Amino acid sequence: MDGECVKLLPQLCKVLAVSGKSLPDDTSLEKLLDWFSGLTNLGTGLVEACPCLPAFISTVIHNASPDPTILSFTFKLTGLLAATESSFKLLQENSLLLGSVFDPPHRWQEAGFWDDPCVRIGWVQGIRAMLQHPPALHFLVESDFTKVLLRLQTDTSLFVAAAANDVLAHILVTQSQLSGKCVDMEREEKSSIGKTVTMDADVQRLALTLGSSSDYATVVMAILEHVKASLVSKENKERHQTLQGLRLLIVVFGQARAPLLGILLKAVSEPLEALVAEGHSQLHLLLLDVLLTAYSCSSHDNPTTGQHNPTRDQVLNDPDSGQPADSLISHMLDTYKPPELIHAGAALLRRDHRDLSHKAKAAGLLLLPLEMITGLTLPGTQSAGSAEQRCSLAELMNSKTPCISLLCVCLTHATLLTCTPPDVLPCPIGSLVTVILSLLRICSGQAPISPIGSSKAYRNLIGCGKVQRCSLEALTALAVSPGAAERMSEVFSVLIEYLDNPDSEPTVLHKSYQTLLKWISVLPVPSSSIRDTLGQDLLSVVRKRVCDVRWEVRDSTVEFLGDLAALSPSNDSAQCASENPLVCSFTPHLVEALQDPESYVRASAIKALAQTFTLGWQQGAAPSQQQTALVKQLLDILSGDTEGFPRRAVIRYFSSWFSLWSQNAPGLPPPRSSSSSSSSSSSSSSSPLLLTSSVGSVLSLGSADLDWEVKVHTLELARLLLHRALSPLGASASLSGSDAASPRQPAPHPYAVTGQWAGPGGQGEAGDADPGGALAGLVEQGVLAVLLSGLFDCDRPVALKACGLLMDLRDAVCPTPAGAAPSAAVAAVTCKLQGCSWGKEVEALLERAGVVANGSKGEGSKGCDWTGDEEEEEEEGGGSVRVCDVLRSLDLDERLSVLSQSSDHVQNSPLSLLQDILSIGDRHADPNSQEVIVDCY
Amino acid sequence: MPEIKVTPLGAGQDVGRSCILVSIGGKNIMLDCGMHMGFNDDRRFPDFSYITQNGRLTEFLDCVIISHFHLDHCGALPYMSEMVGYDGPIYMTHPTKAICPILLEDFRKITVDKKGETNFFTSQMIKDCMKKVVPLNLHQTVQVDEELEIKAYYAGHVLGAAMVQIKVGSESVVYTGDYNMTPDRHLGAAWIDKCRPDLLISESTYATTIRDSKRCRERDFLKKVHETVERGGKVLIPVFALGRAQELCILLETFWERMNLKAPIYFSTGMTEKANHYYKLFITWTNQKIRKTFVQRNMFEFKHIKPFDRSYADNPGPMVVFATPGMLHAGQSLQIFKKWAGNEKNMVIMPGYCVQGTIGHKILNGQRKLELEGRSTLEVKLQVEYMSFSAHADAKGIMQLIRMAEPRNMLLVHGEAVKMEFLKGKIEQEFSNIVLTINLKHTFLTYYLEKGTLPDPKKPRTMHGTLIMKENSLRLVSPEQAMKELGLSEHHLRFTCRVQLQDPHSDADTLHRIYMHLKSVLKGYTTQHLPDSMSVMVESIVVKVSSSTEDPNTKVLLLSWSYQDEDLGSFLSTLLKKGLPSVLC
Repeated sequence: MDGECVKLLPQLCKVLAVSGKSLPDDTSLEKLLDWFSGLTNLGTGLVEACPCLPAFISTVIHNASPDPTILSFTFKLTGLLAATESSFKLLQENSLLLGSVFDPPHRWQEAGFWDDPCVRIGWVQGIRAMLQHPPALHFLVESDFTKVLLRLQTDTSLFVAAAANDVLAHILVTQSQLSGKCVDMEREEKSSIGKTVTMDADVQRLALTLGSSSDYATVVMAILEHVKASLVSKENKERHQTLQGLRLLIVVFGQARAPLLGILLKAVSEPLEALVAEGHSQLHLLLLDVLLTAYSCSSHDNPTTGQHNPTRDQVLNDPDSGQPADSLISHMLDTYKPPELIHAGAALLRRDHRDLSHKAKAAGLLLLPLEMITGLTLPGTQSAGSAEQRCSLAELMNSKTPCISLLCVCLTHATLLTCTPPDVLPCPIGSLVTVILSLLRICSGQAPISPIGSSKAYRNLIGCGKVQRCSLEALTALAVSPGAAERMSEVFSVLIEYLDNPDSEPTVLHKSYQTLLKWISVLPVPSSSIRDTLGQDLLSVVRKRVCDVRWEVRDSTVEFLGDLAALSPSNDSAQCASENPLVCSFTPHLVEALQDPESYVRASAIKALAQTFTLGWQQGAAPSQQQTALVKQLLDILSGDTEGFPRRAVIRYFSSWFSLWSQNAPGLPPPRSSSSSSSSSSSSSSSPLLLTSSVGSVLSLGSADLDWEVKVHTLELARLLLHRALSPLGASASLSGSDAASPRQPAPHPYAVTGQWAGPGGQGEAGDADPGGALAGLVEQGVLAVLLSGLFDCDRPVALKACGLLMDLRDAVCPTPAGAAPSAAVAAVTCKLQGCSWGKEVEALLERAGVVANGSKGEGSKGCDWTGDEEEEEEEGGGSVRVCDVLRSLDLDERLSVLSQSSDHVQNSPLSLLQDILSIGDRHADPNSQEVIVDCY
Repeated sequence: MPEIKVTPLGAGQDVGRSCILVSIGGKNIMLDCGMHMGFNDDRRFPDFSYITQNGRLTEFLDCVIISHFHLDHCGALPYMSEMVGYDGPIYMTHPTKAICPILLEDFRKITVDKKGETNFFTSQMIKDCMKKVVPLNLHQTVQVDEELEIKAYYAGHVLGAAMVQIKVGSESVVYTGDYNMTPDRHLGAAWIDKCRPDLLISESTYATTIRDSKRCRERDFLKKVHETVERGGKVLIPVFALGRAQELCILLETFWERMNLKAPIYFSTGMTEKANHYYKLFITWTNQKIRKTFVQRNMFEFKHIKPFDRSYADNPGPMVVFATPGMLHAGQSLQIFKKWAGNEKNMVIMPGYCVQGTIGHKILNGQRKLELEGRSTLEVKLQVEYMSFSAHADAKGIMQLIRMAEPRNMLLVHGEAVKMEFLKGKIEQEFSNIVLTINLKHTFLTYYLEKGTLPDPKKPRTMHGTLIMKENSLRLVSPEQAMKELGLSEHHLRFTCRVQLQDPHSDADTLHRIYMHLKSVLKGYTTQHLPDSMSVMVESIVVKVSSSTEDPNTKVLLLSWSYQDEDLGSFLSTLLKKGLPSVLC
């Protein structure tokens, strides 16, 4: 623990104990507990290390009117301190502190504190934290706290009740595993199967074998008795108790191992059977969940060998454990009424129930509503549901809300059918696809015939977005299933109908596009006739949809076109995206969408255009007039668009273009724009030249942007250029920005902006082989300016990325230790600081490092500034510095270590937290202080 | 017995993570989906596992309603819809839909800036989430489904903020979100119908405060800024992108003009344009004065407020800078603060709340030596002022809303326990007929509403229902409930009408022509062609065709419709009587 924190802690305890007022910031106390918890996990004995903590606890509990929040915190803190056996004993020796903290809930009750749920939840969580060792269990039993916990299990507060349930499950499961003798117990359990003994004896024997004292037996007995009692049929108002009992069983069954599981099953099988027989609809699904959890083998199989736990199986088949679960589940499936029946079928499939006959039945049940509504006969549903169940179902399907709800359940689970073994699958996937298509037609009002008696149900479904979305999702999932391909043209026809339908909601259209894309992706290459027809149909609907009044629809359309273009090369390697006639015909629409009033759509259009690059364009073919115009348009967006999304997309467009070009032209030297170099080897009208001439503008506009993400993406483009230039020097492997796993870079944030579009850069054959030339090229392109600008940016992600890249550059071109002279060629490269917002800062650093700007430009200097105006520079003469000097004077290593800490690294440190709480305390004490009113944000 | 169940998943007695689940008449509605900025882990989002164990929110929820764009009300929305998974409708007003993504993007940036952040949404997820949003207009009843309807009312507070009435059958709940009953510089006061909801869920941030006049606070603010500028100091005002910033800008702009001040005022570059764009776009949501004067002069086009460049921070002389973010935890505002903190002539004015851990929180609580990264220490010599310009209803405002809406039950959320207790006493004192509950943190609330017992007999009100006399008791229940209890089935009343039409085509063709005609006229209605039963259906209206026995060119159309569609049925009969157009496309 930090020394300063140790010093502050007693003061903090005093403030918390004395103030009697909760802190205005509700997170401080929780963060304090997080810190204590972290220290405990690291093995710090808090009781010994911080004697002020037990003293604080003692002060609070002896306070007649503590603040409920502080009291709750005290309970949790006490539990945390008592979590290790040694600390627990120390606390116990300390004037029986634990007893006085937790012992009298009635004391808090009398004082009125117990009414506050935050006090109750604090008490429960304190007990939970403490229950990590046998003495704590003994304390629980001795103090008779099990009763309090059982009472809290049905607390009016949802959160208190859930926490109490959690503690009860923890006691049953974890305490039984604390001893290492479970294996012996399992062995003994195996030998005792078939012998009839009482639950009491079972529990005693379990405790004995676990080496626990009778405490465990006592507490298990109490919990089991309580659960048994809660499962006995109740009036509606007391049903909450039963529900909580079932919830506890689900948690425990999910984790319990063989000996405990057997005892539990034996104890609750009778009331469970009774509950199943009574058939309270409110309990149906929970009951099924209990059975499925108890009898599921998956969580108890040996994960390494994949074998079942035979002891568990034996326990499950033990007649003493009550009626076999299979028969109870069968009973449920036979007697449940439709809404629960269908939900039960879904649960069976979702939980991957092992019994194949149940699975088949469940699958049939899920198909039943689909069959009823569409009038199509599906093989495999004949045996699903009794006549009475079918009749109720048919009646239910006439009511709008249940009809929609049931169909959604069936459709959501339809994909699980594809995972079932072929002998269980009730009908071929092709038939399932047909049913879903038919349902989609009903929903769009296009169904030709309604089966007798279904007209009301038909009416309920017309225009129902919920069913449409579920159907489309199911259809998407089925695209890859064997047999689905037979229905391909029907699927396309319905999807085109949906895309064409003026009544389709935006979310439905979005899903339709996704489904269509999925089905196109599995379209076999020879199906050219389907492709042709689809292409024509698509063109007509897309034309309409890109002009839709709703931006959501336009955006989904544009996104779809981009994804479609991206699909093309993988489907047909000989043909690149924009050589695909389908994609070609859409490109004008994408260009048009660049002027969309909605920024999201403009950004999607730019992204989509980046997905239509041609190989020819990469390899040096002359750009068409449209392509040149497009580049100009993109640069205009970058410089003038008021929204960040399109500007970000433009930078990524160029990164993508550059990256593709690098991959496809590894042998070519880096293109130079005609304005800056007369030795350009590329044709003046080639695409690479267009790219290079644009890249300069992109870099300067991007690094001056106000949006931090635009700047990060600009740095990503700079990274690609850096990579290309430095790879001949053998520096590619160490490029930090390119490699997430680079030891220099901190682990990347999962959502950090990265060059997702940019693939690996060139292979290193291209470009100048001398470091001086490479460096001069980077200065000339404006890469160095971008990096320096980024380094001094106020947004940390920008500065961090720039810092990493500058270090790469430094290591590649002037890796020698400070003071040693770089090679003459490298030393000759200079840059200018004038006119840059960060120039002053660099100058100051150079001065500090003893490097003076100006006059350093030696003979044969390759100096240039990022304005590219050499003549002007010559005239002005001054302000030039050696790039190497700049790179060395920036103290990049130190900067990186500071930037690698998160923005709230210091602020969220324990010391900062303690200081914050103390300053709040001081504020409370000062009568003249201004009240800081809690507000929204 | 009908019941309304309220499960607060976030907004208990604290600010942040406003998320309330209301179950009413079998419908589940989520009201707001906020996050808590004070946490960096899972605790920042509501715990959805309490409402559905398997994470299938789409199956469980009928809709989500977002009251306004503040992050404590919408910050968890993309997490819920895209990461937990919810595909159903999300309702919010047009301005909220437009501004919400900006705030969410800002928040995402803060998170990216933090190390070790996990389980967070991306930019694409924000967009995908926004695509699921259905915009709401004020005072327009939106039918979520056959049984559930919602209606939005103006709430003041921030641009686009709305209170919402949720109605299922005869039961209704009003959720206020955050609201303000006093008009401010740019927004109007909240207003609601006398809708007499069964339950009013009201925020209570300022439950005990009778706030001093806003004019006083404004005067104080201007005085402090002016004094600092006069003595050559610089004023930093950290703000969030939209909302309070615009109000303060209007205030300073007017003052600068009146006093003819020359010191420059800057705003984080880019933000003014964006804010302007939204305020212009949604001018109808601002207050009357701004709306009236908009044609002559747009209040959001500031003459004195210029975009800020980071190099300006080093300029000598006085200036006022509005910079983001508002809690001084990163970015431009923090950078400027670091530069100016050492000069006692300067001032920082915090106009909003700061969470623990931020520099804003530290300086507000009087810390004068701040440890920064790299173990450097920053000495804070500049003046620190806290000025709450928050636009919540105070105790008086809450009472005013109760008088407006006349609820039967009331639930206080989004406030502190002690303050809620105090307000509860006040409300019970003034409105003896209201059953009032304080939302105790982590409490699961269920309201059993017994119709006919609670309303004040002195206040007449219309009630619809079926009176059941059973076992010596009288009960007024909904017609559906009555039929269920008495085992009766509903009798459907349908109107029929016969229309004669001259049409030489076959019956099937005539039917098809009718279908095409109705489809083209009745856009937005569900029109269906059912050739097997020789009929066309528009909603519940059935149109059947047969030829006259005497003249095959005379077609007899039989129209039938349910009483619910009476208006549409009458309209169709009139329309068809006029005949079919000769050209149908």
